[in-house]
Amino acid sequence: MTRWGMVIDLDRCTACGACELACKSENNIATVSPEQADMDRTMSWMKVQVEVEGEFPDTSLRFYPRPCMQCDNPPCIRVCPVEATYINDEGIVGQIYPRCIGCRYCANACPYTVKYFNWYGPEWPDSERQHLNPDVSVRPKGVIEKCTFCHHRLQKAREDARAEKRELREEDYQPACAEICPTGAIVFGDLDNPTHRVAELKEDPRATRLLEDLGTEPKVYYLASRQ
Amino acid sequence: MKREVAAKLEGMSADERSLLRPLVETSRGFYVVAGLLGAVTLWGLFAYYLQVRHGLGRTGLNRPEYWGIYIICFVFFIGISHAGTLISAILRVSKAEWRRSITRSAELITVLVIGFGAVQPIIDLGRPDRLFNVLFNAQLSSPLLWDVISIGLYFTASSIYLYIPAIPDFARIRDSGIKAPRLYTFLAAGYQDTPAQRARLHKAIGILSIAVIPIAISVHTVIGWIFAMTLRPMWHSTIFGPYFVIGAIHSGIAAILVAMVVLRRAYKLEDYFKPVHFDYLGRMLLVFSLLWFYFTFAEYLTVFYGAEPAEMRTFWAKVSGQYAIPFWSMVAGCFFIPFALMAPTSVNPIWEIEAQGRYVPSWIELSIMAATFSGFILLYMVATKFIPIVSIWEIEEGREESTEVAERVAGYLPDPYRKLLDFEAIGDE
Amino acid sequence: MSQTRREFVWTMGAASAAVALQGVTDGVFWAPEELPEMGWQPGIEKQITSTCMICPARCGIRGRVVDGRLVRITGNRLHPMSRGGLCPRGIAGVQTLYHPQRIAAPMMRTGPRGSGQWQEVPREEAIARVSARLGELRASGRPENLALLAGYCAGTMRDLWHQFMQAFGSPNFVADEYADGTDAIMHLMHGMRRRPGYDLERSDLVLSFGAPLFESWWSPLQAFVAFADPEHSDRRRPHFVQVDTRFSRTAARSHEWVAVRPGTHAVLALGIAYVLIRDELYDRQFVTENVAGFEDFIDEQGQLRAGYRSRVVSNYRTEEVSAITGVPVERIASLAQAFAQGRQPLAVCGEDVTRAPNGLLAGMAVHSLNVLMGSVNRPGTVLFGEEPPLEPLAETVLDSTARAGVQRTPIAGGLPLFGAGSPEVPFAERVAASGEDTVEALLLYYANPLASSVHPDVWRDALGKIPFVVSFSPFLDETTRHADIVLPDLLPYERWQDGPAPLSYPYPVWSVARPLVEPHEGGTHTAEALFAIAKNLGGSVAQSLPHQAFELVLKARARGLYAAKRGTLFGSEFEREHHRQMEQRGWWLQTHADFEAFWEGLVERGGWTDLYYDDADPAHLSAMPDGKVHLLPAALLDALQLDERRPYIDIAAPASTEEDGYPLQLIPYRLSTLASGTLSLERWLAERPTPFPEVYWHPWVEVNPVTAEELGLHHDGRAWMVSPHGRYEVRIQVFPGTAPGAVTAPYGLRHPDGSLANPLQLLDDSADPLTGLQSWFSTHVRLQLA
Ligand SMILES: Nc1nc2c(c(=O)[nH]1)N[C@H]1C(S)=C(S)[C@@H](COP(=O)(O)OP(=O)(O)OC[C@H]3O[C@@H](n4cnc5c(=O)[nH]c(N)nc54)[C@H](O)[C@@H]3O)O[C@H]1N2
Ligand SMILES: Nc1nc2c(c(=O)[nH]1)N[C@H]1C(S)=C(S)[C@@H](COP(=O)(O)OP(=O)(O)OC[C@H]3O[C@@H](n4cnc5c(=O)[nH]c(N)nc54)[C@H](O)[C@@H]3O)O[C@H]1N2
Ligand code: SF4
Ligand code: SF4
Ligand code: SF4
Ligand code: SF4
Ligand code: SF4
Ligand SMILES: [Mo]
Repeated sequence: MTRWGMVIDLDRCTACGACELACKSENNIATVSPEQADMDRTMSWMKVQVEVEGEFPDTSLRFYPRPCMQCDNPPCIRVCPVEATYINDEGIVGQIYPRCIGCRYCANACPYTVKYFNWYGPEWPDSERQHLNPDVSVRPKGVIEKCTFCHHRLQKAREDARAEKRELREEDYQPACAEICPTGAIVFGDLDNPTHRVAELKEDPRATRLLEDLGTEPKVYYLASRQ
Repeated sequence: MKREVAAKLEGMSADERSLLRPLVETSRGFYVVAGLLGAVTLWGLFAYYLQVRHGLGRTGLNRPEYWGIYIICFVFFIGISHAGTLISAILRVSKAEWRRSITRSAELITVLVIGFGAVQPIIDLGRPDRLFNVLFNAQLSSPLLWDVISIGLYFTASSIYLYIPAIPDFARIRDSGIKAPRLYTFLAAGYQDTPAQRARLHKAIGILSIAVIPIAISVHTVIGWIFAMTLRPMWHSTIFGPYFVIGAIHSGIAAILVAMVVLRRAYKLEDYFKPVHFDYLGRMLLVFSLLWFYFTFAEYLTVFYGAEPAEMRTFWAKVSGQYAIPFWSMVAGCFFIPFALMAPTSVNPIWEIEAQGRYVPSWIELSIMAATFSGFILLYMVATKFIPIVSIWEIEEGREESTEVAERVAGYLPDPYRKLLDFEAIGDE
Repeated sequence: MSQTRREFVWTMGAASAAVALQGVTDGVFWAPEELPEMGWQPGIEKQITSTCMICPARCGIRGRVVDGRLVRITGNRLHPMSRGGLCPRGIAGVQTLYHPQRIAAPMMRTGPRGSGQWQEVPREEAIARVSARLGELRASGRPENLALLAGYCAGTMRDLWHQFMQAFGSPNFVADEYADGTDAIMHLMHGMRRRPGYDLERSDLVLSFGAPLFESWWSPLQAFVAFADPEHSDRRRPHFVQVDTRFSRTAARSHEWVAVRPGTHAVLALGIAYVLIRDELYDRQFVTENVAGFEDFIDEQGQLRAGYRSRVVSNYRTEEVSAITGVPVERIASLAQAFAQGRQPLAVCGEDVTRAPNGLLAGMAVHSLNVLMGSVNRPGTVLFGEEPPLEPLAETVLDSTARAGVQRTPIAGGLPLFGAGSPEVPFAERVAASGEDTVEALLLYYANPLASSVHPDVWRDALGKIPFVVSFSPFLDETTRHADIVLPDLLPYERWQDGPAPLSYPYPVWSVARPLVEPHEGGTHTAEALFAIAKNLGGSVAQSLPHQAFELVLKARARGLYAAKRGTLFGSEFEREHHRQMEQRGWWLQTHADFEAFWEGLVERGGWTDLYYDDADPAHLSAMPDGKVHLLPAALLDALQLDERRPYIDIAAPASTEEDGYPLQLIPYRLSTLASGTLSLERWLAERPTPFPEVYWHPWVEVNPVTAEELGLHHDGRAWMVSPHGRYEVRIQVFPGTAPGAVTAPYGLRHPDGSLANPLQLLDDSADPLTGLQSWFSTHVRLQLA
């Protein structure tokens, strides 16, 4: 069975934020106005979360680039009254924007707070509509959105592989954030395929998952040695 | 009031006279209050229009504070809907005689308030235009759907439960001809108060009052579960089902009390809502507030001792942090139950690195909340113009049965004479 | 049957109700929501290799172009320095290209300056007007009254501008480009006027003195790849130690952070040198063979002079250094030991070390650590890379007018002795102070001094004195608003340009940017505008710039690479390594049949590089007559006799310049997401300029919790930051990584309304007299509640 997953090596991450931007560009994530931002309504499917500890000069910062954890046992999908968020055979938790009624129950159910709501419709200046990615729909107001593991790329990669009559290779399907990361901190692949790097990395003694005790079985692993 | 109607009223029994008068006589004050409430309601509708037009952005909600006042109102209104049906059912089943004058007003609260509660989650939808997706794409594993079902059931049952015991009164109005003959002919559904009909009526009420209890309990349990089925700190708790039911009954009783105070004044019903009713309801209120406190205490103590960081953040936000004021007013008033339950909880993500939310409702939300209250009160006021607010036939029946009741009550107890006889018998020996 | 029909009717009923409801709500309720139409038909899609021209790093990019629209910028994995990675700024380039504030067409001012009244004119007319005006200057024999202010444009563009100004006859080419003073240091110590390259990737211990390696360094991507390469190779990763006054992101990500007091980086460096000398940990052989000035010596006048060793030993005992820098004695000793134990220890001198009143001396102190450890000219240390061997441009032809013109003294005056600073400020000051005809025409290329200068007011006066200002900016920035004619450039994604890698990358890299999308109708490639102007001017100018298409100029230059018989086109890791090893053994393989194929391949892969560095070549170590590295250069000692400062001795922070009422030390820093930042930001970046702190849209400053407490400031609260030179509004971020008593302020931000929030405009006037570099870390400010 294919189970797409991600390993993020915190010892490599420099918190540059390229993954955030790559995700925004790939997935047409809209900005909000300054007033809206002040109300905590910004959207960032991938978000580099930072934790500050200590006092000057014994300060430490910890960074966690945080996409959707793509839980194998996702508490978000069960609560949706209209099945607008689902998990597919390969473990990708997706959203069906045209069906979502915007009740935000899934957002409350997600323990990682990775779901973003379109409080207003997205605003794209006319000129900027030109850079929108045609593979990803722009979300209307009133629906929930979140990281999809760049699922549209998988579909494309599959088609290409089929057209070329070959198996899908590890490098064929890489989400935008993993592709751009300058330090290779984000590794993506099939957790169940022993030839993929993630399968090996997730067994690394440094590997942990966020809020593991909740039993959500996230498919995003973090490697961290400096605690 | 037309003269002939007045004349007809004069010819009635004392109970009928005072209880039917509100149906035909409307004071200036009523119109003033109704006008004010109507204005507030229209204002709220306008606010809702703006919200639909522009989006939920018009609220004060955000990430991670995804739910706010609307869901609070939802819990609140569905909570007080337990006023009527559940309480009256319990009283009926237990044959508490003092129930007779209060069941009707209580049941009416239920039926009217459910609607106002049920629309709250719809107001809260980002895409109200896709409401019907709930039917087309229903996913039954969602507690929201359990809720749709249990509220639907509860609404139906409560409406029937309001209607059936009101039939004899409708028949009376029909017969007296003081108001809308056709309407009341329809409502009375051919009821002529024959012994057979009355027996059937009693049977139906008996069955309904038993059936309605589990439904009512399910409703609030399910509402509690909506929250409990998420992993949010201080929501994810097994206690939530019963806790919500207790809270609901508690607020329901309070709602009846408030309604009674107002009705007693407005319609001069001092003879029907007597101090003894307030006394008994007050005792019930006390019992439930103690129960509520017990649940609250158990809940918070468990959290405090478990001391999980995420839960503790919520705990402190409520006890001494951002939400201390609503929380402590809840504890003090035991009334704004839902607010402190809701807000700080969705404020705090489990993952401690996520920023904590801050939520201040917008004027749109406050207007819609105000409109919900005013709309409900307005509808209740109007309903009192069509349904006698105290069940006339049950009052009369109560009078007729008082001797029977005395016997029944005596039947609960050991026979004083028998004791004596026994004693004599012993003495004889 | 009937049941299914009933079901059907029900469903239809409900569905039509839903549709009706939707119809009603759509029309009446929903504010019309214009969702951009997403392409349903499969578009024509291309992936095109190019170069990011946003900052000096010049990373390799790939543009995804669908139906002629640039929808995504990703990295070019073949690029030897960036290896497929990009910084957020580069990714956001799609929003630069489609920026709503882009100028639509060439424009002529119609109202008074700065009134915003413009008239669009055809390109030919704009060019003709500029040519006519410049022609007058030449005709009347005053070519030197033309000035050019140019920002960073290293490469052929800069060469062309230089050629143009020469042929025209003006010495007033004012370059305002990323001056950092390290070239002056290398000039003094190695005899080579060029910035040092840092072979971070092969180093095993990187000791950075304030260099924002992971943020806004010359090439953050170079530093990222050294920290952890995306290819996950088995290479040992260097240990990074960051010496910094604040807990920057670089400090946070380095393996160690050494907090020092402001202005004392170099003192710490000498404390480390002290331990190296005391414990004899330094590379004795290297110092004996290759270094001059270490021991005491007798100068030309026959006087005994203290050498480096005595200066350090007598002034930088660890206790004293500890007292000055605030770094514990044991930490200094352990840093020295670690540095000595490294096989390729590398001290990186941040630009910020040199941006101080004694920046040159401080920078020398930092670099002296490399000299002590022999960390020069061997793999993993300081390397002096070469420029790519490009074909030179055609010879510049000077006629008599031009020859006379270029002889004049530049308006900015002679540079300071070891000049490294930008002549931008003296230029503006003199123009502002002089009469109308000092400068009669000013060209602005990649420069926006009204927003970026430390003295925008002086610039405003200067612009007022210049009767004819031409801007080539594609955006209506502050300075362009004061121009008379705007001839908007194309954006980098629409034009050809070359981008040599910054010298911090020690190997020559020549990247080529090529158009990803059709050029904007209203835009003109500035090079091509220049060719047209030159043609109109005729004479020696036309002869010197006889070009038409810039692409062809680049192609012609690439012939030099083809002919050099070294280096290789960008390639995979394997190709790179293979090539390096071949060259090391003296082999070089011809890979392309002819030049055309070579050029095609070059454009396809993004550029050319030569990863072989000959460390045996003594010319790479020193260009001094004695072939040695000088710790006490004679030129400097001479200069300092007047100055009364002594190298390695007088580098401690000057006594605090704290003024009454301004208790907090201002520490400006550059955000990695901003290029010089005077451009109105891309929305994605403007919304969230940095992952940390979590601030959206609004300029902020960071203060220590203790300071905040004292001043009654709250996290996220508003305040004014005030210095004697200006003020602006900020949001307070309480951050324990800022020292108590300091304010760290990012620069490059703007307020949401587009107005500036530039801490550099709050700076005092202090500068290093030796280099002319402004001091950025000696200003004090106060924060008052807004
Ligand atoms: N992404 C990106 N990168 C760029 C540029 C860009 O536009 N975008 N521009 C380039 C240009 S033009 C320049 S000039 C450089 C700017 O690069 P730098 O001049 O290196 O500037 P900053 O990044 O501001 O780094 C200043 C650092 O100095 C430290 N510091 C604070 N106080 C003192 C002190 O008293 N003494 C010393 N020695 N240091 C102190 C601060 O903590 C801060 O970390 O960046 C270049 N790199
Ligand atoms: N606010 C602020 N001020 C600063 C700095 C900062 O980061 N922020 N940094 C300081 C430093 S270190 C430096 S070196 C200076 C640099 O300051 P400047 O030399 O002024 O450089 P920039 O501000 O990068 O860019 C100048 C202008 O170039 C234009 N431009 C952008 N793209 C193109 C293009 O493709 N073609 C052409 N022809 N023009 C283009 C834009 O209109 C932009 O306003 O600023 C200093 N001042
Ligand atoms: S792109 Fe990579 S290094 Fe940069 S923040 Fe994301 S995970 Fe970290
Ligand atoms: S917000 Fe949308 S996806 Fe989430 S639970 Fe509600 S309908 Fe489902
Ligand atoms: S992280 Fe949240 S949104 Fe993502 S699958 Fe898990 S529960 Fe669902
Ligand atoms: S996997 Fe794709 S959608 Fe998810 S964070 Fe990365 S880029 Fe964004
Ligand atoms: S570092 Fe500079 S050149 Fe590289 S991607 Fe970022 S902005 Fe572009
Ligand atoms: Mo600069």
